[in-house]
Amino acid sequence: MIEARHLSKLYSRGVYALRDLNLTIAKGEFLFLTGPSGAGKSTLLRLLLREELPSEGEVTVAGRNLSVLSSQEVQAYRRSLGFVFQDFRLIPRMSVFQNVAFVMRVLGVPVPVQQRRTFQMLKWVGLQHRMNALPDELSGGEQQRIAIARALVNEPQLVLADEPTGNLDPDLSLEIMNLLREINARGTTVVVATHDRELIRRVGRRAVTLDHGRITEVG
Amino acid sequence: MAALRYAVEEAVASLWRGRRSAVLSIGTIAVALFVLGAFLVLTVNLERLAADWSQAAELSVFLADEVGADQQRAIEEALATGPVVASRAFVSQSDALARFKQMFSDLAASADALDANPLPASYEVRLQPGVTGEAVEELASRLRQVPGVADVRYDRQWLDRLLAAVALIRRIGFALGALLTVAAGLTVGNVVRLALHARRDEIVIMQLVGAPTAYVRGPFIVEGVLQGGLGALVALLALGVAFWATQAPYLVPLAAALNMTAVAFLPFITAIYLMLGGMLVGCLGGILATRSESR
Repeated sequence: MIEARHLSKLYSRGVYALRDLNLTIAKGEFLFLTGPSGAGKSTLLRLLLREELPSEGEVTVAGRNLSVLSSQEVQAYRRSLGFVFQDFRLIPRMSVFQNVAFVMRVLGVPVPVQQRRTFQMLKWVGLQHRMNALPDELSGGEQQRIAIARALVNEPQLVLADEPTGNLDPDLSLEIMNLLREINARGTTVVVATHDRELIRRVGRRAVTLDHGRITEVG
Repeated sequence: MAALRYAVEEAVASLWRGRRSAVLSIGTIAVALFVLGAFLVLTVNLERLAADWSQAAELSVFLADEVGADQQRAIEEALATGPVVASRAFVSQSDALARFKQMFSDLAASADALDANPLPASYEVRLQPGVTGEAVEELASRLRQVPGVADVRYDRQWLDRLLAAVALIRRIGFALGALLTVAAGLTVGNVVRLALHARRDEIVIMQLVGAPTAYVRGPFIVEGVLQGGLGALVALLALGVAFWATQAPYLVPLAAALNMTAVAFLPFITAIYLMLGGMLVGCLGGILATRSESR
């Protein structure tokens, strides 16, 4: 599913965020990226989201070399992804329902389909009763569940999550991980960046440890 | 189609949220188009005045006191109906005197006291509408060469001056309107940029989910178009109200004094063009804002 070859990312100050990284992630895999702050976890996710381009090497996702995509191909590629961030990134002026339906709305999905799928997703994350609330009225855990519902409503082949439990307590963190495990069980590839080793231990999936932009441990 | 609907819905909502700054840009567009529109009303009416005057334009050919039948025939030949001359009428010396007595009844008695009729006979020539000043000047100088012609007078010069003034006023109006329109476009651009700035997070999210460019930029461009259209509408309404308010006390007496039938408002098609112009300016402002912001 994901193939990174001699991947490097050099920032202008001469600091390598990633250095000669080689990594293969199989289709349907659930993988943790871990390591201390500044290890390069978020940089790798940004390259996978095609928010940035590698300085050297290349990364291929589902056969697409991300370095050579046109802006329209980038749009099409991102539509096949789901993403979850530490800070949730919900649109504050939109209701919970609108936030989840937003992706389908801008993709021109017919309204009845939007409504049906949004409701199904909200039910799945257990927040259908809060669908008219604004994000600010929800707790952190609830907001992250909404963000996950939004990431998955479009049935992506790949879900990227950057410290999705960074703002949550251990019980809520596990709850979020269970949602991601559930979607993984249905065949979606999931990549989660986290520095929480305890969480990785509790979830028990393959983890790749990064430090100073290099892989130091695969387990 | 779905993209357009989305853009319009979002633009209307955004315009309502940012209505305070939107009032600013709608106001500037309205002022710019009001000035442009006022100049257009002025030139439309001056053009009508010029047209009225050209219809009434006359050339007077005064004859010498002793003019022979041959000479008169030659003059009439020169005044044959054609591309310059529409028609002509002969005014004999006695006709001229009778007309004089009628117009200046106070002086009728003193005119009678004279031994001989001092007024010359003349031809009053009506010109074809739309004849150029050069053609009339050419006819006049040709007539002056004909024996028996004492003098040739015509009011074409006034008309040419009026037409030149109309052209100048129109140019000034367009220059001023263009300047204000550029200012209005930049204001719209800035207001749209404010709206864009307020929704930056949303735009980032849209880009991350792979929303097509039409969905990301469309609402802001439509917002510019709406601001432009609303500004033009305000300008037209203000122009209409100003016209209506000045019509009875000023415009109607002015028209009567100038021998005009009536003072006209902007033709419908010009109003439509003003409206479209406002929308175009708004659209360009919106494009400008989304371009500079996405860079």
